[in-house]
Amino acid sequence: MSQKSRSTLRPLIALSTVSLLALTSCGNGGGDGEGGTITIGVTGPQSGGGALYGENVEAGIRLAIAELNEQGVTIDGEEYTVEMRALDDEYQPNAAATNAQRLVEQDDASVVFVPHAGGIHAAQEINTSRSEFLIGAYSSDRQIVERGNELTFMIPPTFASYSEPFIEIFQDQGAERLGLLATASEYGQQWTSMMTQDWEDAGGEVLSNNNFDYGAVSDFASAVASALSEDPDVILVGGPSQTTALVIEEAREQGYEGGFMIMDQAKFEEMELFTDPENLNNSTGVKPVAEFDDPGTDGLIETFAEEITQERPITSETSLNFQAVALVVKAMELAGTHEDPAAIREALPEATAEVDDVFRVSGFPDVVTDEGLLISDTLEGAYRDSEGNYEYFPVEIE
Amino acid sequence: MTLFVQQFFNGLSLGGVYCLAAIGLTLVFGVLRIPNLAHGALYMVGAYLTYFFLTSAGVPYILAIALAALVLAGIGIGMERVVFHPLRNAPHTHHMIAAAGAMFFLHSLVQAIWGADFRRMESPITGRVEILGTQVSWQRVTIVVTAVVVLIALTWFIKKTVHGQSIEAVEQDRVGASLVGINPNRVSMLTFALAAALVAVAAGLVAPINLLYPTMGDVIMVKVFAIIILGGLGSIPGAIVGGFTLGLAEVMATTYVSAVAGEVIAFVVLILVLAIRPTGLLTKAVQR
Repeated sequence: MSQKSRSTLRPLIALSTVSLLALTSCGNGGGDGEGGTITIGVTGPQSGGGALYGENVEAGIRLAIAELNEQGVTIDGEEYTVEMRALDDEYQPNAAATNAQRLVEQDDASVVFVPHAGGIHAAQEINTSRSEFLIGAYSSDRQIVERGNELTFMIPPTFASYSEPFIEIFQDQGAERLGLLATASEYGQQWTSMMTQDWEDAGGEVLSNNNFDYGAVSDFASAVASALSEDPDVILVGGPSQTTALVIEEAREQGYEGGFMIMDQAKFEEMELFTDPENLNNSTGVKPVAEFDDPGTDGLIETFAEEITQERPITSETSLNFQAVALVVKAMELAGTHEDPAAIREALPEATAEVDDVFRVSGFPDVVTDEGLLISDTLEGAYRDSEGNYEYFPVEIE
Repeated sequence: MTLFVQQFFNGLSLGGVYCLAAIGLTLVFGVLRIPNLAHGALYMVGAYLTYFFLTSAGVPYILAIALAALVLAGIGIGMERVVFHPLRNAPHTHHMIAAAGAMFFLHSLVQAIWGADFRRMESPITGRVEILGTQVSWQRVTIVVTAVVVLIALTWFIKKTVHGQSIEAVEQDRVGASLVGINPNRVSMLTFALAAALVAVAAGLVAPINLLYPTMGDVIMVKVFAIIILGGLGSIPGAIVGGFTLGLAEVMATTYVSAVAGEVIAFVVLILVLAIRPTGLLTKAVQR
């Protein structure tokens, strides 16, 4: 052996590595002998700036699958094991589409969860033509269902739903001048233009746009200072919770005493960990998961702390995807197939009533519209008053 | 007027951070002629180490920065030995690929240790002070003062000590320096150590007004490259002037034009410099 030169050994090593890899991938893809396997595909950011977001989404899907397997999944009289297969797309639309294609063709997934608008759009280009698959779209931009893609369902409430109640709360207080300090991503710009329009329609004044990219700026102070220099009564902020908390803190430190409208990406329960909660007083935002009274809420909070992490609270990124997986697997059972995306999509509305209580966590959908919107009749938004107490108000999904 | 004064201090503190980060990059370029793409990742590691010493080990803030700088200096030497030294005779592209590899390695390492979560480092330096009728936070004053102190110490080190002078000698003429008996190996290691330590100080200073996450270095990396091209590759005074110029330009553009203009200004300046004076504002002759 030692006589052999490196150059002859190399191909051997390469060959054995390749065959090993092939063997292991067979083990993943194939069934376990008993019953069949249903693969739920996920493509989301596992590395890079969005890694934490991707982790939260995957956690929800993983926890739902564990619970489903424990309860047992039976389709057309046959027992199945559900598996998750997650690929990293680093938040890139193209990578998301490629991953989705791979998940469908190599792993036989008929449902793929995509947690970002760009990736959803890219996946929608291919999911009704070459290889058919159902998209579990986790992003709150209404355009997702407006494109008329028949194999898409949209998991979170549309952000437009929050506009009216948010405006009402602040205009009731007499607020007139709206400052803009949101993140400059596509999502942030859409929120901003919606709010600009709605605020002006409601008779208010919108000040200059100081949106900046929350992920690409080392110092927020200057943007905050120029927004405050126009003396706003309420400011639209929002991006990842942690950065949003810092923007709010900076504004408070510079002496701002007005209110904040917080976009749905940022969560009160996460922001409270990153800044003195008092800074968040007089703000509207998304209702924390822990505050829902649904039958499965406490159970999921506990499992999340046990199985995923105790270092951060569970948010709707996890809970809404948790619910969605249960819904889609129930639809497979009702449709009697885990392979036909169109049949699964068709069974979604019926499945809403059938899902087990453990999976009803934070505004479980009561209706699935023809467009693919999941609508919960009990959804609420949150207002944190000037004393730091939360009040909840109904939000109608539209 | 108050707004201007306030933004001026914001610009100075941002400039101070840019400056410290840029000097390391320009030093490495001056001595080894390589653009170290992993410099931003070193910045990120510096921030996490400061966080570790301050939060987990309970060391006082300034000492935590110093310790992080020390550890980073070690990592810098390690990087030079393991990544760049074996490639000293290889074509330039190899350095770039190796540096990018080192960057991804550090990202993943930090993500494996501390996770992908955002972290918040609370600074013990709180409160505000009134300067010229405006409120400036003590943290920002600390940033500016520390940056100036470190810059003075660095200038003294380069101009007055043997080790520092040997760095400058190699920068000016690599062959000539080795002819008079300067060991280029030692100078390379020293340069990397110094660059890594400086970027750790920058990161430790800015961490309390920002968040920690594994890719935080990518943001500053692009700015820092713009700065050293603006100032002239390899020039320390250039990095200082460039750092403060860009910090102030960014803040003023944000204030008086728009936030988007603030983000774009670095690249506008970069394009102007490349078009009008491609060698940078304060250039030494770059050989090769």
